[in-house]
Amino acid sequence: MNSDEANKKFLKELKSGTVSLVLLGILDGAGEPMYGYEITKGIDPGLLDIKQGALYPVLRSLERSGLLSSAVEPSSAGPPRRYYRITEAGRETLASWRSAWNRTAKLVDSVLKGKGDVSENR
Amino acid sequence: MSQRIDEYLARLRSALKGTDRATKQDALADAEEHLRTALEQALQDHPELTEHQALEAIMEEYGTPEETAAAYREIEERTQPAFAPQRSEHRSVTGRILGVFIDPRAYAALLYMFFAMITGIIYFTWAVSGISMSAGFIIMIFGIPFFGLFLLSVQGLALVEGRIIEALLGVRMPRRPIFSRKDLAMWEKFKSLVKDRRTWLTLLYMVILMPLGIVYFTLFLTLLVLVLYGLASPVLFYWLDLPLAHINGVDIFLPGWYAPLTVLAGILLLMLTLHLAKGFGWLHGRLAKAMLVKD
Repeated sequence: MNSDEANKKFLKELKSGTVSLVLLGILDGAGEPMYGYEITKGIDPGLLDIKQGALYPVLRSLERSGLLSSAVEPSSAGPPRRYYRITEAGRETLASWRSAWNRTAKLVDSVLKGKGDVSENR
Repeated sequence: MSQRIDEYLARLRSALKGTDRATKQDALADAEEHLRTALEQALQDHPELTEHQALEAIMEEYGTPEETAAAYREIEERTQPAFAPQRSEHRSVTGRILGVFIDPRAYAALLYMFFAMITGIIYFTWAVSGISMSAGFIIMIFGIPFFGLFLLSVQGLALVEGRIIEALLGVRMPRRPIFSRKDLAMWEKFKSLVKDRRTWLTLLYMVILMPLGIVYFTLFLTLLVLVLYGLASPVLFYWLDLPLAHINGVDIFLPGWYAPLTVLAGILLLMLTLHLAKGFGWLHGRLAKAMLVKD
C-alpha cells in the first residue's frame, strides 16, 4: 500500500463516525430544525474533507435510527425542503458520543505530543 | 438552468443502478433539493455569477454523481429498513417455524391484512369518483385543473400507502414526495403527470386494493375465528355445554378427551395463520413496490 492509499484509508475510517457526531452536534447546537443545505453550509469542507452529497445519506441513516426526525415543508421560494431536528434519543446519544470523543481526543493528543502520560490508558 | 441539474440527476440515476429503488428516489430527491437551493442562494448572494459558474462550484462541493452514489450505497448496506427486524441466518428449521410467535413482522403483516380493506375502500372510492368526475368535468373550463389536482392527490395517497407498507410490512418505500419542479409551467407539470406511467399504476393499485383487501380480510378473519374456536373449545364444550356442530337438527358433541387436541389444533392454526400473513405481506409488499415506486 503506498502512502497515498494509506492516507485515503485512514481518512475514510476517521470520517465514518465523525460525520454522524458532527451532524448531531450541529442540529443540537442549532436548537431549531434545519434543512440539508443549511446544515452542509455550516461545515467547512476543508476541515472535514467530505463531499456535501455524502452528508445526506448520513442524515437519512441517523433518522432511520431514531436520532433525528424530519419533515418536508414547502418553502416560499424554491423547492420544498426536508427539515431535520434532533430527537430526545439523539441528544442522549450525542452526550455519550461527546464524552467518548473527548476521551479519545485527549489520548491522541497526549500520544502525538509525545510527552503525555498514557499509562492509565494501557 | 435545470438542464445541468437534470444531467447531473440522470448521471446519478445511472450510477445508482442496482440499488434499492427507494434509495434511488431518496438520493435523487436529496440531490435535487440541494442543487436547486444552493443555486438559488448563490445567485442571490453573488448576482454577478452566471448560473453555469455557480452550478460548477456547487456541484464540485456536492461531489460527482459517482461519489454521491457510492455514499448512498455504503449507508444502505449498513442499515435495515425501519421496523424490519434483522434476519438471522443461522436459525434452525423448528426455530424458524416456532419463531413466528414472537416475530413482530408476522403480527404487523396480519394487522395490515385487516387494515387493507379499510384503506382499499377509501382508495377505491377516491380513485373511481375522481376519475368519473374528471371525465364529466372535462368539457368544462375547470375540467383540466380538476383532473390535475386529482392526479396530485393520487401521488400524495401513494406516499401515504408507502409509509403504511414500510411500517407494517417492512418493505423500504420512498420517504419523501416526488420532487415538483419550480421552473415548469402548470401545463408542463400537468403533462408530465399524465404521461408518467406511475400515476396510472398508482390509480390501478388504488382500485385493486379494495378487492384484495376484502380477500385478505375475509381469509384472515375466518382463520382467526377458527383459531379462537380451537383455543376456547374447552370452555365452549365442557363448561357451557355447547355442541361442536348442529347438523339437521342433531347436536354433535365431542368426547371429553378431545379437549387437548382441539386446543392444539387452534395453536397450530395460529402458527399457520401467522406464517401465511407474513407470506401475504411479502407478496403484497412486492406488488406495492412495483406499482407505487418509480423505477
